[in-house]
Amino acid sequence: MFNYTIRRLLLAVPTLLLISFLIFLLLDLAPSDPTANLPLTIPPEVREKIRISLGLGEAFHIRFLLWCKQFFYNETLNILEQWWGWDFGGDRLRVLSWQTRSPVVDTIVQRIPQTLWVVGMSYIVGILIAVPIGILSAYKQYSWFDQIGTFVSMVGYSVPTFFTGVLVIVIFSVWLGWFPSIYDTTLVVNDWSSFLQQVKQMIMPVSVLALYNAAQISRFMRASMLDNLNQDYVRTARAKGIRERSVILVHVLRNSLIPVVTVIALGVPQVFGGAIITEQVFKVNGLGQLLIIAIQAGDVPTVQTLTFIFAVLIVFFNLIADVLYGILDPRIRYD
Amino acid sequence: MSETSAAPLVSIEGLKMYFPIHAGLFRRHVGDIKAVDDISLEIFEGETLGLVGESGCGKSTVGRATLRLYDITAGSITIDGTNTSKINQADLRRFRPRMQMIFQDPQGSLNPRMNVADIVGEPLDEHMSLSREERLARIHELLDAVGLNRSFANRYPHEFSGGQRQRIGIARALALNPKFIVCDEPISALDVSIQAQVVNLLEDLQKKFGLTYLFISHDLSMVHHIADRVAVMYLGKIVELASRDQLFNSPLHPYTQALLSAVPEPNPARQNTRVHIVLKGDVPSPSSPPVGCNFCTRCPKAIDICHHVEPATIEIEPGRFAACHLLESTTKVA
Amino acid sequence: MKALLLGAAAIVAMASPTLAERGSDGELKIIYWQAPSTMNPYLSGGTKELEAASLVLEPLARYDEGGNMVAWLAESIPTVGNGGVSADLKTITWKLKDGLLWSDGSKVTADDAVFTWKYCSHPEGGCAQSEKYNDVTNVEALDELTVKVTFGVSKPFPYGPFVGAQAPLLQAAQFADCLGTKAPECTDANFGPIGTGAYKVTEFRPNDVISLAANTHYRDAAKPAFATVTFKGGGDAAAAGRSVLETGEFDYAWNMQLAPEVLAGMQAGGKGEIVSAFGTLVERVMINMTNPDPALGDERATAKHPHPFLSDINVRKALSMAIDRDLLVEIGYGDAGKPSCNVLPAPEIYKSTANDGCLVQDVEGAKKLLTDAGWVPGADGIRQKDGVRLSLLFQSSTNAVRQDFQALIKQWWGDIGIETELRNIDSSVFFGGDPGSPDTFQKFFADVEMYANNFDGTDPESYMANWECKQAPRPETQWQGNNMPRYCSEDYDALVAEMAKTGDLMERARLAKAMNDKLMQEYIILPLVDRGRVSARSNALGGVVMNAWDSELWNAADWYRVK
Repeated sequence: MFNYTIRRLLLAVPTLLLISFLIFLLLDLAPSDPTANLPLTIPPEVREKIRISLGLGEAFHIRFLLWCKQFFYNETLNILEQWWGWDFGGDRLRVLSWQTRSPVVDTIVQRIPQTLWVVGMSYIVGILIAVPIGILSAYKQYSWFDQIGTFVSMVGYSVPTFFTGVLVIVIFSVWLGWFPSIYDTTLVVNDWSSFLQQVKQMIMPVSVLALYNAAQISRFMRASMLDNLNQDYVRTARAKGIRERSVILVHVLRNSLIPVVTVIALGVPQVFGGAIITEQVFKVNGLGQLLIIAIQAGDVPTVQTLTFIFAVLIVFFNLIADVLYGILDPRIRYD
Repeated sequence: MSETSAAPLVSIEGLKMYFPIHAGLFRRHVGDIKAVDDISLEIFEGETLGLVGESGCGKSTVGRATLRLYDITAGSITIDGTNTSKINQADLRRFRPRMQMIFQDPQGSLNPRMNVADIVGEPLDEHMSLSREERLARIHELLDAVGLNRSFANRYPHEFSGGQRQRIGIARALALNPKFIVCDEPISALDVSIQAQVVNLLEDLQKKFGLTYLFISHDLSMVHHIADRVAVMYLGKIVELASRDQLFNSPLHPYTQALLSAVPEPNPARQNTRVHIVLKGDVPSPSSPPVGCNFCTRCPKAIDICHHVEPATIEIEPGRFAACHLLESTTKVA
Repeated sequence: MKALLLGAAAIVAMASPTLAERGSDGELKIIYWQAPSTMNPYLSGGTKELEAASLVLEPLARYDEGGNMVAWLAESIPTVGNGGVSADLKTITWKLKDGLLWSDGSKVTADDAVFTWKYCSHPEGGCAQSEKYNDVTNVEALDELTVKVTFGVSKPFPYGPFVGAQAPLLQAAQFADCLGTKAPECTDANFGPIGTGAYKVTEFRPNDVISLAANTHYRDAAKPAFATVTFKGGGDAAAAGRSVLETGEFDYAWNMQLAPEVLAGMQAGGKGEIVSAFGTLVERVMINMTNPDPALGDERATAKHPHPFLSDINVRKALSMAIDRDLLVEIGYGDAGKPSCNVLPAPEIYKSTANDGCLVQDVEGAKKLLTDAGWVPGADGIRQKDGVRLSLLFQSSTNAVRQDFQALIKQWWGDIGIETELRNIDSSVFFGGDPGSPDTFQKFFADVEMYANNFDGTDPESYMANWECKQAPRPETQWQGNNMPRYCSEDYDALVAEMAKTGDLMERARLAKAMNDKLMQEYIILPLVDRGRVSARSNALGGVVMNAWDSELWNAADWYRVK
């Protein structure tokens, strides 16, 4: 397993380099212009100067190599400096956003907390809801509980979050006035009342996203449970005279969780990717919002850096999923 | 092992196992699959009762229902003096050690995420309180009994061959010293070369531990080999029940006759003279069995009454039962 | 110079700020649904950045709600009359107010203005506002408070540098190391510029939220009334409007680009109101005077090939007559728009009344005009003459209102026997100006196209010069230029040249009107809607004066809490 993991990690390096190149290529080919969203009153000569000042005058390969150097070398050194207090000296140009003219990585670091709080929490809440619902739905297949669960999942899965998001805002913010409709990213939780305020502003986005996540995972959980409930070993367990609870929780659940756990692991990069639409609806301004704004503004360095980080996370969590599978399922050995 | 001398360990009366059919938008109950429809039989201590029939005739359901892996629709089951038919599943756990089952699919019936020690040891944890050493000793003892290497205890099911897996299944079934074991087609998923080993193992264990088997199989020659008495099932009902020799030498029911005519005969002289009875058509659906005798649609000897009246099970001679209108008349004449 | 002003005037009249004390009104919450990405207006030309920065950075002079120039950091507006502008119109001398302090407590001097010019005119800086410093050859500090700007040419309108939200003063000390290519590396300065405004930045989160606090060194000791400002960005216009008009979480929401009925529904909440002001932004249809036929290859859409039927003024006029501008306003903009018959709709002195006939739709007249001109319906109902069918390709950027407009206009043109094919292009491509793309509004590979444009400030000289012959985008200019219709008229060019050397305001107004009328009466541009700025204000926020000529937050120092 260890060798396998090392081998996979080594393989990830060329994969990610290729991905970064492809992203860069795609972004370069895409018809986007960082000055496109400026007011029309800004004359073309000025736009051209702006473009040149952004480095767009250079050839494609130069820009790509420059990005590689800035991202892989300069930013890495920078992180080491910040974490360990080392000083490598020298003046290193970091990856700068075309919109903000500030280091992209700093903005990302600034955005991570709110994304993890809201999107991550919704993922956890989603899982916590989904797993028991999936288990019970499968165990009582076709019961009213299962029917309602199926209906709610269908709703959660098929109704887009920009609809449910606005709906809950209209109900709970506009009509009832219980929760704020706009997320305050500057809120510092340092006492009970600010904690309550944080909880209040998180409830709506977290529940909207959790419903969506739970819908997917609970269907998966249910299907996986049903697969296993009809297996002979379950009958064996019952014939052994095992308690029903143990039959379900030990025999069926443990086997059913194998694919679900890997699906959950594969979903984690999406948490970092943020929930573009939900973040927009609730003004959470996390990584998803950062990405969409960067795309709209033609901010190539930000888009490139963000998508590349997502790619790293996806590759990494794919590996984690595979390793988890190997750990959880004794039938799978990677060596 | 004479059936008359021993007391019945298991007696089943009027067992019915219907599976409801739901259909439509609101999943209304529109009918039942009558997998087992009113059967009665007794199994005597220490004997092996063979239960044969085509696939889908309900023989596995009889096995599972007997062990109350299902909540039965009607009838009573008495095992070792206890009527288990009405006990709820939770309370039934106390009786599980006495009755065990060996399954057809040795792969599927073993939890893939448990190693052999856990599979065999789990019933011990549930029903006995043993120390770690005692538990391990018992597991080793069981592995010895079924002819598995003790070092296999920490391996997972997928690391074994089919025959070995079935041995694990048997060891697991033996763990709690059961009196009665339902063998549900224990060898049909195995290679022919392995089948004999497993059957011999079952026979050895029966002698060693004084076990009683309900041996379910569609393989008549295997049943001929292992069973003391044989019951033949067709579409949820037992059509004939007799001692092995009676049944194989002089089958009474037309269905038994048809089944036996299909068994290859080792003696070529007899093989040549034998009349093959080929049944026409398919087995009717157990959700809508034919009126009258269940077998009437395919019976080569069917007479008018067969299509109207269901034949009663009658004891044609002591210990020999059959359900056929043709036999009713013979006994009357006799 | 009076600009149109709705609502805002009433508020000013009502506004009687109680004797306030600096910081006594707590927190001001502003929401911009497009989040500012920097606080340095010289590095981003975006409106959202300009407006956010206007809370902190201030120019020497700016425009009030009427479009009148008011001295801001300067003592007065220099003119030829008061000697501030030289007679040859080549220099302008500004005098700073005495005692001005930056928010760090240091003195504001003429050197800061000199530095600001150097910062924006650095060739490698990519300054987004360099247009403001066009033709400036030198900026010098005559003394600590006097700045002299010298132009290379005579400037009849010398109020580009240091005027308006686009050209505020930067502090020389803070940006000294940020010239040229170093500009983007000064993140701290770009995110937290030291200014003279009523507020100073305490935390800047790019594209998210800006926290500001009252500037303790602000020149008016009683202002601002608010101790802190939270400037939230992100979301969408509907959510921003909701947060002010329905939930009351925010005090001010910028740019309520919403369907009229949605806005009306929100206002019914009673927690706030819509404020609007009209500037020069006109949604217009541009007519291509050249032939965009792909068969022409490299000469496509160039002056070498006149348009096969749009070069006939009768066709262009009929296109205009068929349009019901009132309905367009009602459907697309509501309070935020009014029908316009001029491409130069404001300020008042430049507004022509000669073309108001376009306000009335005249389908029958259009039909008659076409028939009289020889364009008669063919078998398919489409008018034609000499084998030329009146069939148009109509392009615009992707935008719900524009697509509604396109559909309506297609229908009206269909009514008069002109066939229209619609096309919409993503705005980043359409306005992107990429010479490699065939879909830009400059290339104009279509017969007509629709978009909105305006000009900065109040002076229309450079705006009206857009339709000079030489401004036509063409291969030689890498398809850059503002004369989308490729209009070319010696008379017009002469008017442009005349205006460039005329200093007298009334004379300039006459010339601008003449140019506007020429474009209108030749139907080169079909103006549709004069689009205003629309924002939402909470009832609890006082002092808001909506301004279409400068930053909407231009007078944020005067805003106060209504108690």
